[in-house]
Amino acid sequence: MNQHKKVVIVPCSGIGKTYGTVSREAAYEVIEDLRAEQAQLVALSLLVLGDDDARSAVGQYPAIAIDGCKLACASKMVEESGGHVVQEYAVLDVYRRYRQFKPRGIAELNEGGQKLAHALAEEVAASVDELLAGEGGQDA
Amino acid sequence: MPKLPEKKVGIVACSGEELAEGTVTRLAALRVLEELRPRDTVTICLPLFLAGGEGDRAFARFYPTIAVDGCELRCAARATEKYSGKPAASIVVTDVVDEAGLDQPKGLRHLNEASLQAVEATAHHMAFMVDDLLGKRWSRRQGAFLDDQIPVEAEDSSRTATCACGSGIPIQSVAVNGEQVTLIALPVLFEQFQEVGKPPTPEIARELLEQVKIYNQVPEELEAVYLDVLRQEYANFCIEKEPVK
Repeated sequence: MNQHKKVVIVPCSGIGKTYGTVSREAAYEVIEDLRAEQAQLVALSLLVLGDDDARSAVGQYPAIAIDGCKLACASKMVEESGGHVVQEYAVLDVYRRYRQFKPRGIAELNEGGQKLAHALAEEVAASVDELLAGEGGQDA
Repeated sequence: MPKLPEKKVGIVACSGEELAEGTVTRLAALRVLEELRPRDTVTICLPLFLAGGEGDRAFARFYPTIAVDGCELRCAARATEKYSGKPAASIVVTDVVDEAGLDQPKGLRHLNEASLQAVEATAHHMAFMVDDLLGKRWSRRQGAFLDDQIPVEAEDSSRTATCACGSGIPIQSVAVNGEQVTLIALPVLFEQFQEVGKPPTPEIARELLEQVKIYNQVPEELEAVYLDVLRQEYANFCIEKEPVK
């Protein structure tokens, strides 16, 4: 796997709905636990403000957007910032695949929400691996 | 009769996912929205100013807004001003932490004790700002507003934050001297006027203008133009709403 390449993870920053919290929790699990070396989190607020470092990160690395609702702020903002979303996750779609994990809570997720976030994080981590394997193959 | 959204204070949190202070903004905003001032506050996701529609961008022009930021970059305050409207007040977590003499917040998912204290301090600071903006007086002893007729128990027991995202503020674009101007609340005002049978006369247009000025800035020198525009637009609205015979 290419050690120099990274994948940018951009979660939803919504605070009004449970799915936003699930998206963040999944993103944190990926960047802190599952793929700490390979994945980098970029905050949406920095992209909104046009922060140079944040724009540079999404411009340089492939991005995975995790959206909490159909408004898809994360995906839209990456594209608006000159980045490329190579994989887009919508938490609601993920929930449809894991209906046994019903998420509740915003400040604090219930057990179902935590399990859903974990399932999503595993999928995102797998996407990171695929992307970096692809990048490595292209570079080689 | 359709009603305009009641006066509330908008909370815009930076939510900076890469900083502990960003998590503090999120949790502090939620504490205000869900527990401290649920009836008086509403929130919107910061990215919607760009990713959403014109109604979302009208948020801070419609609501007096408090921007809560994690750091001195002040993404929430600056982006709100840039894309929506100048926040009525703003608060930065690092300032709150310094003023309260708290330790540095740490953790993104799992906040340390200092972070939790910062959440409480920031939330209470925001709650006082809300009261200030709404002109309310809060009694700490009674745990209620001094002039509030609604008992605390009557508050929304679901404790759900009011999220404005996607709901959009009602707006309508009109041409004023050849330029498109977005007027907040105009569609709802038209509905209200039409429902009580007000005709599109010059007198009614004057009445409409006074209502429009509550939610929008109308330059004094353009009032005559606005009167004409409102009368015409309202006449069109009434024709469209006329029942088909």
